[in-house]
Amino acid sequence: MAAKRLSLWLAAVWAVVVLGTVLHQVQFWRAARLNTDVLALLPENEQAPAVSAATRKLAEQSQRQIVLLVGASDWSQTRRAAQLVQARLATQPALLQPAAVDASRLDAAVAFYQPWRDRLLTQEQLRSLASAPSEQWASTALMRLYQPAAGPQFGDRLADPLGLWQDWWAERAAESPARPRDGLLWLQGKGQQWALLNYQFQGAAFAVTGEAPLAELLQSSRAELAAQGMGEIRLLAAGVPLHAEAAAAQANREMSTIGWGSLLAVLLLVWLTFRSLRPIVLVGLSLLIGCGVALSVTAMLFGQVHLLTLVFGASLVGVAEDYGFHYFAARQGRPANERWQVLRGLLPGMALALLTSVVAYMALGLAPFPGLRQMAVFSVAGLLAAFLTVVCWFPLFDRGALPQTAFARYLANSLTRWPRWQPNRKGWVLALILLVVLGVGLSRLQSRDDLRQLQGSPASLMAEQMEVGRLLGMPSPGQFYLVAGDSPEQLLQREEGLKARLDGLVRDGVLPGYRAVSDWLPSLATQQRAALLTAQAERHALAAIAEQTGEQPARPLQAPQALDPATWLASPAASIIAAQWLGELDGKHYSVLMLRGLSPTMLPALDKAATDLPGVRWVDKTAEISSLLARYRLGMSWLLLAGYVAVFVALAWRFRLAAWRALLPTLLGSLLVLALLGLLGVPLQLFNVLALVLLLGMGVDYGIFLLEHPGDGTAWLAVALAGVSTLLSFGLLAFSATPALQAFGLTMLLGELLIWLLTPCFRPGEALAREQVEAAPVSQLATANNQP
Amino acid sequence: MNQWFRYVLLLCLAMAGSAWAADIAEAVKARLSSPQVLRGQFEQQKSVVGFKKPLLSSGEFLLWRGHGVLWQTRKPFESSLVVSPDKLSAESGQASYQLESSREPALQAMNELLFALLAGDVAVLQKRFLTDGGLRGKDAWVLALTPREPGLARVFKRVILEGERHVKLVRLEEANGDSSLIRFDKLVEASAPTAEEAKRLGR
Repeated sequence: MAAKRLSLWLAAVWAVVVLGTVLHQVQFWRAARLNTDVLALLPENEQAPAVSAATRKLAEQSQRQIVLLVGASDWSQTRRAAQLVQARLATQPALLQPAAVDASRLDAAVAFYQPWRDRLLTQEQLRSLASAPSEQWASTALMRLYQPAAGPQFGDRLADPLGLWQDWWAERAAESPARPRDGLLWLQGKGQQWALLNYQFQGAAFAVTGEAPLAELLQSSRAELAAQGMGEIRLLAAGVPLHAEAAAAQANREMSTIGWGSLLAVLLLVWLTFRSLRPIVLVGLSLLIGCGVALSVTAMLFGQVHLLTLVFGASLVGVAEDYGFHYFAARQGRPANERWQVLRGLLPGMALALLTSVVAYMALGLAPFPGLRQMAVFSVAGLLAAFLTVVCWFPLFDRGALPQTAFARYLANSLTRWPRWQPNRKGWVLALILLVVLGVGLSRLQSRDDLRQLQGSPASLMAEQMEVGRLLGMPSPGQFYLVAGDSPEQLLQREEGLKARLDGLVRDGVLPGYRAVSDWLPSLATQQRAALLTAQAERHALAAIAEQTGEQPARPLQAPQALDPATWLASPAASIIAAQWLGELDGKHYSVLMLRGLSPTMLPALDKAATDLPGVRWVDKTAEISSLLARYRLGMSWLLLAGYVAVFVALAWRFRLAAWRALLPTLLGSLLVLALLGLLGVPLQLFNVLALVLLLGMGVDYGIFLLEHPGDGTAWLAVALAGVSTLLSFGLLAFSATPALQAFGLTMLLGELLIWLLTPCFRPGEALAREQVEAAPVSQLATANNQP
Repeated sequence: MNQWFRYVLLLCLAMAGSAWAADIAEAVKARLSSPQVLRGQFEQQKSVVGFKKPLLSSGEFLLWRGHGVLWQTRKPFESSLVVSPDKLSAESGQASYQLESSREPALQAMNELLFALLAGDVAVLQKRFLTDGGLRGKDAWVLALTPREPGLARVFKRVILEGERHVKLVRLEEANGDSSLIRFDKLVEASAPTAEEAKRLGR
């Protein structure tokens, strides 16, 4: 009686927890804080917090920007199309706002720099002013003076007799290919005339509703262009919000297919096996609570839930159903009043099964990837909640009769008809064939550790993003130099040292260009040098003008002091390049030097350019992540090997000489998966290895069940049901558009299937007595589960 | 796309354009000839802010339709300016200056504009300037041009063209207060440039 009171009490406590979860879920979905950023899945660089800070700042800057390019072979058509697109986008002001191009801000920047004009020289000007003879300055000044009119002027001609100030601005402008034209920004490229339209995304964070308003807006703009007879006009779009939206929509789709798909499959299995509504409702309930608690715990622990966690988490359905299955399989054919005993009998076995699964999932979280840790926490919390739902609630609500069904009996009996491997001639020939397949497949297995594994963006969106990047010569956010200094001055000087190196690469045509803070704010030393050189050259220039014309032009006054970082940072001019000025971090000052028009072939030269420069660090995010993935692929492989050894020791202790029968199916299945990957030309990556770790945790269970109960069809029933549902849910994961999840799902699908098929082939041969199977009620599962 | 980017792209020559037709433009066009090549001599009088006397210079020039402009100053010193669609280069004594369209995309438009001013190409000028003017006598005409776009207004306040079959006078009023008066003389039409001229224009 006390036990019954205890269970009632437990059920009430669990009800409170579930109620809390429901409340949290309502709140969570009302303002879903979902993370769509792929980089959030990756570990921070612990050795270099400045690198992480730089990456974060660069990413923040582009968080809301959307860039559109409208292209036609002829500019007037481009203009018409651009106006049409602008009008279309203006219908959704809550979604997109044009980023204003404001001439007054340029004037403000020009006016700000004016007093320091003599201290601002390009690298090229510094070189030529230092080396060219004074007669050259005389000639240049006279040539410029007598020319009809040349280019835009900033102030009067005699204030800048050599055009240094004008050329300095021209070099700043040369960092971009776009120019104002007819109130638009115009550029040429790929034989087309393009109009550049800048927008700011106005919407809130993306919710997983499956809607894609940005994509729809672009789609309708394209449709309207086509309707206006401008179908050949190209409309390219790029920007982080587009990828985020696509990821959210895709995650929604995949969660539906994986989540609902496996739920449907599990419930179908329950229906076929038990032919009663009660198990369906209760198993469904345990899965629902499992997923809800998993989500709430993840949200509370991490603050945000990543989209890929949700997609991966959807496969939880196929694992968490085990406990409900165990309960009903044991309960089947027994009277309702024995249900508490059934549960008590099951408890140790189920707890052990939970423990092994939890350990396997925890192993996934060993790698310091925040994404994997989230997935591990999600899965562990979900399993635990599903387990507790079964333990606390099932006997309470499961009151009716539950007769044994023909389907359950049929499944249980199928074990005896399963082929069995025997050490005869046929057996050894099969083994030999298997060895050859393994040898060929494994020898072809290659590995690839690529950031793209995590990138699930649609190919068309990626292609557009890259085309826009190429046309605009946008600097790459993945590769840059991080420059450090004890003071802003030292930092800027080091940047200038690096630029001197890079100028060599630019001259040799290796590198198209770069963007540095010191372009806009030279070091004090350089400003000092520039002021001296400018004064000297302009004195020669003005003297030559005086001699030629008989006039007496005077040099205008310049600012007596150099432009210092504090003044610059407080000015409107700083916003031009503020994202690359990281400021102070742990007593050091940092800046980022970005590179334009990068291609992979340049990377080795760029890496080498910085090797012996103090305070300069070449950061290749892509390579860094790839090597990280490779490191963890190897690390997890060793962990997997150690896992096999540990499992084998445990099995040998329990089963002595028969231990190989439990482990061999999992080992063979895993090796065959690897061989298949090799034969199919699919490269091995971290996520395959992680799947193999999980396979070891789940696959060996089947072997254990069959060894514990030789020839017992009821154990086989439990194995079959659990195997099929796990197979389905992870198999559906193989259809994910995210390569990492796809690799994980594919490995799980193939592995589970093979292990499931192989396990009964290695069952012990002594107990094949068919009569025994028929005599034993399926309810013996209860006892079978007591000692897994 | 970054902040700096939006700033700097405002700097360069802006180009404006809209279909705008006026009778005067048509009438001027009817009086102008448009040869493949036009050669002639020029005399330039340039007033610089702060200078008491204007600066005088003279030399010869060549316009080659679609290919560019050669501007060769002979007095008071030798100096040359070559503007073609993909390159601008200037030379004088020890000084030289070069700009390529791969580096400055607006160069092509700059060349087009310069050519239009010297050749009186009304259709091109109308895209960038508000045009006003009138006819004088049987053959002559005058056009007053005001930039449409702020970018171009950074360079010119106003441009005045006078001519008959060809442009005979250009008056450039710069935004900074300087102004140049250029007269053309001894104008000769030709069907092709000499090999040396073509080479200097990069053909």
